[in-house]
Amino acid sequence: MSAAKTILCRLLIALMAWTPFQLAQAGMIGAGQTAAAPQAQRDAVSAFLARADVARELQALGLDPAAAQARVAALSDEEIRAIAGDMRGLPAGGTIEGWILAAIVVAVVWYIFWGQYKQKR
Amino acid sequence: MPQTVELRDAWLPAGLPARVELAAVPFFPQDEYQCGPAALATVLANAGVTITPADLVPQVYLPARQGSLQVEMLAAARRNGLVSYTLPPTYTALLRELAAGTPVIVLQNLGIFSGWHYAVAVGYDFEAGELFLRSGETARKVMNFGMQEFFWRRGGYWSMVALPPGRIPVSAEEGRWLDSLLAFEKQGNQQKNVLNFSAFLQRWPDNTTAAIGLANAHYALGELGAAEGVLREAARRDPASVPVLNNLAQTLSDLGRNAEALPIIERAAAQPGRYAEEVGKTRETILQRLNAAKDAGRAPR
Repeated sequence: MSAAKTILCRLLIALMAWTPFQLAQAGMIGAGQTAAAPQAQRDAVSAFLARADVARELQALGLDPAAAQARVAALSDEEIRAIAGDMRGLPAGGTIEGWILAAIVVAVVWYIFWGQYKQKR
Repeated sequence: MPQTVELRDAWLPAGLPARVELAAVPFFPQDEYQCGPAALATVLANAGVTITPADLVPQVYLPARQGSLQVEMLAAARRNGLVSYTLPPTYTALLRELAAGTPVIVLQNLGIFSGWHYAVAVGYDFEAGELFLRSGETARKVMNFGMQEFFWRRGGYWSMVALPPGRIPVSAEEGRWLDSLLAFEKQGNQQKNVLNFSAFLQRWPDNTTAAIGLANAHYALGELGAAEGVLREAARRDPASVPVLNNLAQTLSDLGRNAEALPIIERAAAQPGRYAEEVGKTRETILQRLNAAKDAGRAPR
């Protein structure tokens, strides 16, 4: 795929992911607009592209395009910035607990730590 | 375990009961890897949303990661009508939320045995130093404060709550709670936005951004009179706010009161700052409408 096509695709994805974020109220300034720091506003373009990146990463992690877009649309700009480029490294809670041994050790230490203290009070 | 030591030494934080258990919080046993959907379904169902973990899998589960990201947990709560909030990273905040009747999702790292895990805290017994959780396949897991901290600290003491619109978490901080409402605002449910921003302004009456949010929600519902009232009050407290002046002028213009709107938009246009484009458009609209009214008046009968 040529570079121009790549850019076009990224833009289209970003546009689709962006759509729900346009609060369509002609003439009114949005509350979110006033809350954003001027710096964040200047970063609007990068946030826009970060959205496309996150959508693509979500697909790479096993989502179909429609689900990826819906999920990107649900994230705020700040949340997008927090995960863009790092979706393989961030915590992803999923495991079933498997801590039986640790639990026994800690329970013994615990009794000494809190239980004894309580009796002293 | 610094926070546990602190709790033990300072003993029960002021105003909290010694024991809390939110026994009515439902329990959804987790399927393989899907503690994210299970934990989220627990707090959503507790808040009255009709939902199961299976409904949430397509909204939060990432197949290749075999888990769910924190930001997607927050986002999915919003998609299902609740306002989500990351608690301050302290035990005190966690205990205060439980005492207020709100179950709390906590992120744990189970260390060498396995990886990241979401559980839902539903109560504590301070005398015993124990936390009660809905976790994995266990409906009522009892975990001592020290062990919880051991599992909890590696994720930066991350925890979240999700509340119905109009309610404010007891541990809410003004700026971050406002961010939560602004993230929720984009769902576009204006009745809920009205509830949220109204409650916010009752607690923090001087917040101009929240006033703009409330007025915009009224405006979107076609309640222009209510929007005007909120914006007038905001303009009285914060006379230099360009967004307030712009939105007030726009609202008045839509109410057909262009002559009243004009001096207000002129005030905004004198020093529009970064809103020059929006203010310019509003001013143009008002001038056009004034001219159109004039032309209509002059038109031959």
